[in-house]
Amino acid sequence: MVENSPSPLPERAIYGFVLFLGSQFGFFLYCLWAYVPEEWLHSVGLTYWPQKYWALAMPIYLLVALMVSLVVLFGINMNNTAPLDSVDNVTDVFAQGQRSDCYRKGGIPRLEDVSISEVNKMFYLSSET
Amino acid sequence: MEDEALSNISGKAISLDCQTHSSFCREFTVSSPKMSIGKVMVYTCSVWLLAYGVFFFTENTAVLSSAILITLTGMMLHIHFVKVDHESLLVIGSLGIQVSSSYASGREVTTFIEMSRIKDIVINEAVYLNQIIYYLCVLLKEPSEPNVVSSVVPLFQSSKPRLNCLAKVYKSCQEILSKCQ
Repeated sequence: MVENSPSPLPERAIYGFVLFLGSQFGFFLYCLWAYVPEEWLHSVGLTYWPQKYWALAMPIYLLVALMVSLVVLFGINMNNTAPLDSVDNVTDVFAQGQRSDCYRKGGIPRLEDVSISEVNKMFYLSSET
Repeated sequence: MEDEALSNISGKAISLDCQTHSSFCREFTVSSPKMSIGKVMVYTCSVWLLAYGVFFFTENTAVLSSAILITLTGMMLHIHFVKVDHESLLVIGSLGIQVSSSYASGREVTTFIEMSRIKDIVINEAVYLNQIIYYLCVLLKEPSEPNVVSSVVPLFQSSKPRLNCLAKVYKSCQEILSKCQ
C-alpha cells in the first residue's frame, strides 16, 4: 500500500509543469481573443465567440464574488454558532448516549465525557491553596 | 457588599451585592454601569448637527423637528427596553429560583423557575461573537427524565460579569442547592 505523503515526487513535478504550461497558454489565448479586433476574427472564420464585453466582465465578476464570499463565510460562521441559551453548549447526543459501565477496582476508567456539574465542582468548589 | 474591582467582559466596572436572607435563601444583585451623561450629550449633539447640516442644504424645517422627535423617542425606548440597571438572582432552597432584570426606566421583568425543574446552576464557557466568555446558567430538566438537560437559561445576560464575580455567586448558590435538592 503506497503511503500518502506530501513530499515532492517526479510525477507531481510533471503534473505541476503541465498545469503551468497549460495555464500560461490558456492566458495567452484569452489575451489573443480579447485584443484581436472582431473583423480579423471574422475574416479568419471564427465567428461564434462571446461578446468582447465579457473579456472585462468575467474577471470583475470573479473578483467581486471572491470579496463577497469572504464576508459571507464570516457571516455563515457567526450564524452557525450556537447561542448562549442552547443545549449544544453543554452537551450533545454522543455525550448523553455514552455507557457508564462500572470498571474493575484498580483499573483505568473508560475514557468518557465528564458532566459539566462535575467539572464545575472540581474547578470552583475544591479548596484552592 | 463585596466589590473588589469586579468588571464585565468589556472591562467596565460592575458591582455585586450578596444578601443572605436566611440559611436557605440568598439574593445576588449585579448592577451595570449607569448611562454616562457625556455619551448622551455626544449622541444628541451629533444627531442634531447632522440634521442641521441636512437642513442647510434642503431648507426644510421638518428635518429639524423630526430629528428632535427621533432623539427623544429613541432615548425613551432605549431606557425602557434596552438599558438594564441591575439584574438579580434569588435562590430559595427547595422552592426555586427567581431571576429578575430591571431596566433604567423602572420596568422589571421577572421569571420564576421551580426547584423540581432545576438540574444545576453551573458556569459554562461558550463562543460569543469573537470571544469565549464564562457565563452562569441554570440547567433545566424535565421531571420525567432527571438525567437529561432539557434546556439552558443563561443568567446575568446584560451585565455579563467576569469569572471572579461568577465564581462567588456559584459557590454561594451551590451551598444552598447541595443542601436542598
